[in-house]
Amino acid sequence: MTASPSVLEARNVVKTFGATRAVRNVSLDIPAGSVFGLVGENGAGKSTLAKIFAGVHSPDSGEVLVNGEAVTFRNPYEGIRGGVSMMAQEIMLVPDATVEENVLLGNLPRRGIFPNRKEMRRRYDELVELTKFDLDPRAKVATLRIADQQKVEILRALSQDARLIIMDEPSAALTADEVVRLHASIRQIVERGATVILISHFLEEVLSLSDRVAIMRDGELVRVGATVDETVDSLVAGMVGKSLVTEYASVHRAPDTAIRLSVRHLQRPPAVQDVSFDIHAGEIVGLAGLIGSGRSEIARCIFGADRLSAGEILLDGQAVSVSSPKQAIDQGIFMIPESRKEQGLVLGSSIADNLTLASLDKATTAGVVSGRRIKQTAQALAEKVDLRFTSIAQPAVSLSGGNQQKILFGRAVDVAPTVLIVDEPTRGVDIAAKRGIHATLQEMADAGLAVLFISSEIDEVLGVCNRVLVVHRGRIQAEFRPPYVQEDVLAAFFGKDGKGNA
Amino acid sequence: MLERVRSYGIVGVFAVLFVVLAISSPSFLSLQNAANILDQSTILLIFAATTTVAVIAGIFDLSIAAVATAAAIMTVNAINWFGMFPGIIFGVLFGALLGLITGLAITATNVNSFIGTLAASFTYRGLGLILAAGGLVSIADKEVAASLNGFMEGKFLGIKGAAWIALAFVVIVGLLLSKTIFGKWVYAVGGNREAAYLAGIRTQRVLVGCYVLSGMGAGIAGVIYAGRYGSGATNAYNDTFVFTAIAAVVVGGVSIFGGSGAVWRGVMGIFTFALISNGLNLLGVDTTYQLTILGLLIFVAVAADQAFRRTTRA
Repeated sequence: MTASPSVLEARNVVKTFGATRAVRNVSLDIPAGSVFGLVGENGAGKSTLAKIFAGVHSPDSGEVLVNGEAVTFRNPYEGIRGGVSMMAQEIMLVPDATVEENVLLGNLPRRGIFPNRKEMRRRYDELVELTKFDLDPRAKVATLRIADQQKVEILRALSQDARLIIMDEPSAALTADEVVRLHASIRQIVERGATVILISHFLEEVLSLSDRVAIMRDGELVRVGATVDETVDSLVAGMVGKSLVTEYASVHRAPDTAIRLSVRHLQRPPAVQDVSFDIHAGEIVGLAGLIGSGRSEIARCIFGADRLSAGEILLDGQAVSVSSPKQAIDQGIFMIPESRKEQGLVLGSSIADNLTLASLDKATTAGVVSGRRIKQTAQALAEKVDLRFTSIAQPAVSLSGGNQQKILFGRAVDVAPTVLIVDEPTRGVDIAAKRGIHATLQEMADAGLAVLFISSEIDEVLGVCNRVLVVHRGRIQAEFRPPYVQEDVLAAFFGKDGKGNA
Repeated sequence: MLERVRSYGIVGVFAVLFVVLAISSPSFLSLQNAANILDQSTILLIFAATTTVAVIAGIFDLSIAAVATAAAIMTVNAINWFGMFPGIIFGVLFGALLGLITGLAITATNVNSFIGTLAASFTYRGLGLILAAGGLVSIADKEVAASLNGFMEGKFLGIKGAAWIALAFVVIVGLLLSKTIFGKWVYAVGGNREAAYLAGIRTQRVLVGCYVLSGMGAGIAGVIYAGRYGSGATNAYNDTFVFTAIAAVVVGGVSIFGGSGAVWRGVMGIFTFALISNGLNLLGVDTTYQLTILGLLIFVAVAADQAFRRTTRA
């Protein structure tokens, strides 16, 4: 390992945003032809550091050397020309263009004003020869699954002669089988001489793919070392600064016998097919399954966000009509939606306004809103959910993912529902925030709420829930109770019933 | 710091213009000139106020000039049918009704507001033609016409009646937006419609409310026209009013993407425009060039805003 030259070196890199010291005096070497893992809690400075490498940000001080030469990329374009390419968390492709057009975008071979299809294919084939990616060059990108779209991005980076490709949370939006494909892609390109910086919250992924791994905390480098010397526990300990037990507290308070929420024969084809289940007061029920299995759609139907074509919803034994979120909230059902940025928060509005959004009428007299009362309510809610901020008037967009999620929990506390649906509340939040969310859910259940918990992370579902329902193609495929056998639950994701039969 | 420059840039631009004009033209700093500026801006103030609310909610209402025109004609008709006061109220409510129809049609079909209100605009211009039987309608009772004109054109504390109406309307819309629950909903719907919906806000109703408000403002503009001229004409307000109002709102610093802004910003935008054209007049610039200069200045203002946004983000 020491023999391979460094493709990138950072020397005392510092970056400050206002009062936040995002990256503090970081120095590291990235050996060529390897996968370099970069881990840390949200806000630890990983993405900022990566963006400095790629030319998105310029460092306040310090030096970046690519292939031994000091570089100062002023923008991502210069970064690409210098051989450093960053795959953003969002896919940056032209959906209506073909695979080969996207790969060569910005550098399309042409003959006069027309694209040179032959040359395009020749260059594309060269790249595929390198990577062995199996894609139809003529397919429109919009028709591809996300893992394949990522391959297109990787090919594009390679077509631009990238020797270092930075991937920021590449597997966050992928299903389990797509993750396998992504990992294969990464191994293929590294085998052929490229270098990859892998930023990921999925520690197993980092452990299995990377050769070296760096841990960051509060903008500082905790340590860099060979991945073989690390374990999930050692990485977590480095990230949070103290040794944390990673197992979940598996003892739950036994739920009440009273059934709080019943759904009967919910239908909204094709996503929801004849779904029936109960949740007791004080119970956390997990809704697990692959992305696209219908989990979120079931939740949205119960919350009135999508219209049911048939079925019945009962609260404490009483049939209720839920045809809009407003109606659901009025009857005591609240949902924290899947995507906090797109569906949860008004990002440009203040923390206070976001916290009180669902209960504005409480602060209203004869149509006039009391700003003082909103502020008071918001302060109290923020305290309850342990929200960290400098000013309650600062926009929600300025908070970290974990704190943004806390706003939504604060909103739930404010609404005080009897049924709480939470869809992927821990996606993209750091470990400490995740623990906080689990504790909050447990508290809410202990207070007698019926909780429906949706997550793509199977460990988490099994660790937190009293009972787990697996959804497959819009149906409840199987039901599990502790002690859980993870393999059985996972098998149900792919269509097996709870007893291992297909 | 830069954020503050961006946020209050319009105030700075206004102040600089004001000082430059005050120094370079002795007649600028007179109450008479101020009253003139206000008088010329009357209708645009009303339009800018409702357009601010619409843009913050994430929609456009391009039909306001057409609604105001139809309302002017309807007001004259209604005064002829029911008398002065019922006629005035009828005119305002007629504008609100057209706004309600636009709003219900657009929210029910989920048509894009830009194109939906453009279609509504043609429809209501046509409706004006029908109501005016193809031409011009006049208030039949000369006394009523004279007293209405006296109110609109007569001065109280140096300011014309019509301008007082516009000022009062702007203040009310400003309070509606900043102090009421409806205002909070408008910001939420414009900031993130899906999030607002999932937080239990009836987003469709909020949007319909914005269209009704726009229609009501246009109705008031219609009444002012009927009062000023004693008649209603099919060309009472052309669509330049709509585009000027939108430009003023954006120049004032209201985000074109919705979710942020304030009524005072739209007002500052209008006054900045008025100051520019007033200044060009006082400085003796040929009116032939004024529109071109105004257009270029709008572009410069918006480009500067973009530049600031970029710097503050990095």
